[in-house]
Amino acid sequence: MTRGFLDGIGRVIAAPTLILGLYAVTLLTAAPLGVLIRDAVATHLDSSAAADTVASGVGWEWWEEFQAQADGIATTLEPRIIGFAAVLTNLSGIADYRLPHWTVLLAIAGYIVVWLFLIGGVIDRLARQHRVTSSGFFAACGTYFLRFIRLAVLAFTTYWLLFQVIHGWVFDELYGHLTQNLTVERTAFFIRIGLYGLFGLMVIAVNLVFDYAKIRAVVEDRRSMLGALIAAFRFVRRRPTSTFGLYFINGGFFAGVLIGYAIVTPSPTGSDLAVWAAFLVGQAYILARLFTKLVFYASQTAYFQSQLAHALYVATPVRRWPESPVAEAISESRT
Amino acid sequence: MNAQRWPALAALLFVGLGLLITSPKPAPLAIVAAAQASFPSPTGMVIGPPSQRNASYSIDVRLDPDKRSLKGREVLTWRNIANVTTSELQFHLYYNAWKNTRSTWMREQLMGRRSSLHERPADDWGWIEVTAVRLLGTENTPPIDLIAGAHHIALDDGNAHDETVLAVPLPYPVEPGDVVNVEFEWTSRVPRTFARTGTIGNYFLLAQWFPKIGVLEDTGWNCHQFHAATEFFADYGTYDVRMTVPTDWIVGATGVERQVTDNGDGTTTHHYYQEDVHDFAWTVSPDFIDVRKQFKHPVLPDVQIRVLLQPEHVGQAVRHVAATRTTLKYFGEWFGAYPYDHVTVVDPAWQSRTGGMEYPTFFTAGTRWLAPRDVPDPEDVTIHEAGHQFWYGAVGNNEFEYAWLDEGLNTFASVRALDLSFSPHYRSTRFFGGFIPWVFRDIPWSRSVDGNRVGGYRRSNARQDPQITPTYRYWPGTAGSITYNKTALWLHTLERHLGWATLQRGMAAFYEAWRFNHPKPDDFFEAINTSAGTDLGWFFDQVHGTSKVFDYGIDQITSRPLTTRGYTDVDGNKPVFSDVRSDATYETTVVVRRLGDGVFPVDILTHFKDGMSEREQWDGVADWKAFTYMRSERATQAFVDPEHVLLLDTHRTNNSRTIKSRTGQAATKWMLTWIVWLQDLLLTYGFFV
Repeated sequence: MTRGFLDGIGRVIAAPTLILGLYAVTLLTAAPLGVLIRDAVATHLDSSAAADTVASGVGWEWWEEFQAQADGIATTLEPRIIGFAAVLTNLSGIADYRLPHWTVLLAIAGYIVVWLFLIGGVIDRLARQHRVTSSGFFAACGTYFLRFIRLAVLAFTTYWLLFQVIHGWVFDELYGHLTQNLTVERTAFFIRIGLYGLFGLMVIAVNLVFDYAKIRAVVEDRRSMLGALIAAFRFVRRRPTSTFGLYFINGGFFAGVLIGYAIVTPSPTGSDLAVWAAFLVGQAYILARLFTKLVFYASQTAYFQSQLAHALYVATPVRRWPESPVAEAISESRT
Repeated sequence: MNAQRWPALAALLFVGLGLLITSPKPAPLAIVAAAQASFPSPTGMVIGPPSQRNASYSIDVRLDPDKRSLKGREVLTWRNIANVTTSELQFHLYYNAWKNTRSTWMREQLMGRRSSLHERPADDWGWIEVTAVRLLGTENTPPIDLIAGAHHIALDDGNAHDETVLAVPLPYPVEPGDVVNVEFEWTSRVPRTFARTGTIGNYFLLAQWFPKIGVLEDTGWNCHQFHAATEFFADYGTYDVRMTVPTDWIVGATGVERQVTDNGDGTTTHHYYQEDVHDFAWTVSPDFIDVRKQFKHPVLPDVQIRVLLQPEHVGQAVRHVAATRTTLKYFGEWFGAYPYDHVTVVDPAWQSRTGGMEYPTFFTAGTRWLAPRDVPDPEDVTIHEAGHQFWYGAVGNNEFEYAWLDEGLNTFASVRALDLSFSPHYRSTRFFGGFIPWVFRDIPWSRSVDGNRVGGYRRSNARQDPQITPTYRYWPGTAGSITYNKTALWLHTLERHLGWATLQRGMAAFYEAWRFNHPKPDDFFEAINTSAGTDLGWFFDQVHGTSKVFDYGIDQITSRPLTTRGYTDVDGNKPVFSDVRSDATYETTVVVRRLGDGVFPVDILTHFKDGMSEREQWDGVADWKAFTYMRSERATQAFVDPEHVLLLDTHRTNNSRTIKSRTGQAATKWMLTWIVWLQDLLLTYGFFV
């Protein structure tokens, strides 16, 4: 497990372009919407002297007024986005199944589609452990995109069942039943923690199986996503300690990143310098999160490969862009 | 028989029958004498009791926690202090609000808040059933049974299904000054709390739990049905209450405990007594931790503070005590001394929904297991409810009709006290099912914004109801904002307009004049007018009498070199065309606009590049007004109402304009912060890929 984790870290460090590319995707998804927020703030402030207060602090009086008139995506500009509260807002939103504003959901959907396109190339690169050209990378992306779309349909259905049905049952029905007559908040808190753990395990189990399904699809060049999913399930079932153990090591690493950010998050409410410092620290945190996510994939890929006969086995040669028949004919005539 | 005798005989027969049917007026019981007893003042002068004590109760009640039932017997001694005669008595039966979904309270809750209260399971509902009503006489006169004539009435809305008011016809009219003694027997089922009173587990908060007489005014009975947006109204009296509960359970109640009697059957009777109050509430639970502290002050009388804490909040006892002391100190100094020598603070059980309620000498606070010290919870609730001991308890306005008079005054005063005693503190939020607190140390709690609850006032649509509307007729969804938030805002506006000393003097005079009495809005306005030495009717008429909104804004600010272009007369000759531009003089024009329909005098402050400024006063009546200045420097900024006196103007951003704005910096800052949040959110959802 630990070797797989360390191996995974090594593979991600060896692929900085992947991190930077994915970071660019994250930033480019968020930035245009950020411009909308900027416009909304600027329109409301107009040439008011309140801008002085807002620029040099929080300007809570203004913010409160802004929120009251905001609509659309501007309604998401609330104190919960400041510093580490932003992280807790998002994690808590998932844990309590509170969906964000629909405009943000659209952005998330688009981001997930881009990831579905890229993930084949990402796993392919991490599995090969050597540089691939950008054309090779995108060729792999294209090869697996439709397969992962099919897998995503299965994943979406499973997660939908988990959050729409089981989450409601666990946190509305079961939690409500367990705490209905409780008069001690502390007890209810620990019950809720327990249920988060229970539900989290279910989510992790599903996530784990789908991770290995993607890994098997790439490493073994599987065409059937149902087959990949079943194979992944078998793989996890036969090695529960190792697969879950590795997952939890990665989870611990992720927790470390969160704790680190919680410690160093600067306040964005001071001078211009402080604002940019907070933004840069935030970007470093986003990079660290991306690194963590890739380590998840890389370490699980490494572990999966270690369980095969050949540790670095990848079923297919490096992908190439498909050429037109004419170009291929010319190319072959030259050789 | 001589036909001429018939009228006389008929008259005799009528009188005779009348004597048979109409019972003689019984003499009052001894308790009346006690209730009206005079007592010596510290100076030796004999003075009367502080209140009229015209509605006094002697109650015996037994709680069966397993059945969640109360079985009680009360003797009400009621004296008619109105100038009218009455032939019936009217009583509140508040528990019937939770008898079914057809009560007025439930209907209004569902209408205003789309609440899911109607989905409550069978066990949750509660009610009160009067089993006997008797008019008591003296030892020689038998009681007269009144139950047959007792019937529910619903004069507010005609809801035939509402059983929260019971009318009891009397066998004879009660003249002004007359006294009657009425005995009730009743049983009730304690609800799982819908609002304010009820039970969960072995925690009971029992309020509005007994048949309680309404208030007879010169215009008739003031005994409203129980409404979603209103609270209570009652006359002052003496409460002598014996509560029988399981032995070893801890009781807290209005008043002081006089006696504890172990009945030997697993129950204990706690005897509490209190004079000059208009209600009686109690709580009982085996889990309470009983903390007692003293309030001491160089001038104000000592007060014993008793805190009944939930075990999981034992570490917060000091916070409740500090908050209660703060209220007793500041309210005592500002308005007048707390009129009792004890107060009980109840820390309600989690999920009991009984927190944040006031009763005479007794109130419920509210807190959380994880309560960061730099967030004003539980202090804000504790100060507010302790403040009600002054505004509601001592000054007993009609909460059915002018709830703002206690809730609004108290909100204003309690956040003022909170601000003075517990700053700095910060805004917060909660994550993960509402359990994990997070403190925004970048956002200090603000009295003008958070204390006055500006957000709620904005969201509620200030135009929904004029404040003068009787509270029980407010739209239930916005009643709170009109009652609490708007009043706090206009009182804070008055504080800034008149100065604290003037407002405080007026409120103190109002407190002194109406302690142990039932003031009306005009009484408050009169007290403030007197203190201010001016008629503020123009203000009260707008904020209380209408739903006008206030909004002033700087429409434009321009500052250009002075130019003159066109024809001018030169030394009496023909007009000559000229185009003159003076770089030494700048013409600055500031246009102020009244955007709302409310009118308030405002200042206009214009700053210039050389650091100088110009201040103007505007009565704020016209739709707009322009101010022009000729100065050697350009203007930089203009403000209308620069000190933000008019806190009711909730559109503050348009109150200023600058020539060179920092809007771009401000907008960029929040854009960058927001982008990091969204990136994190994308990655959080990226977990599922």
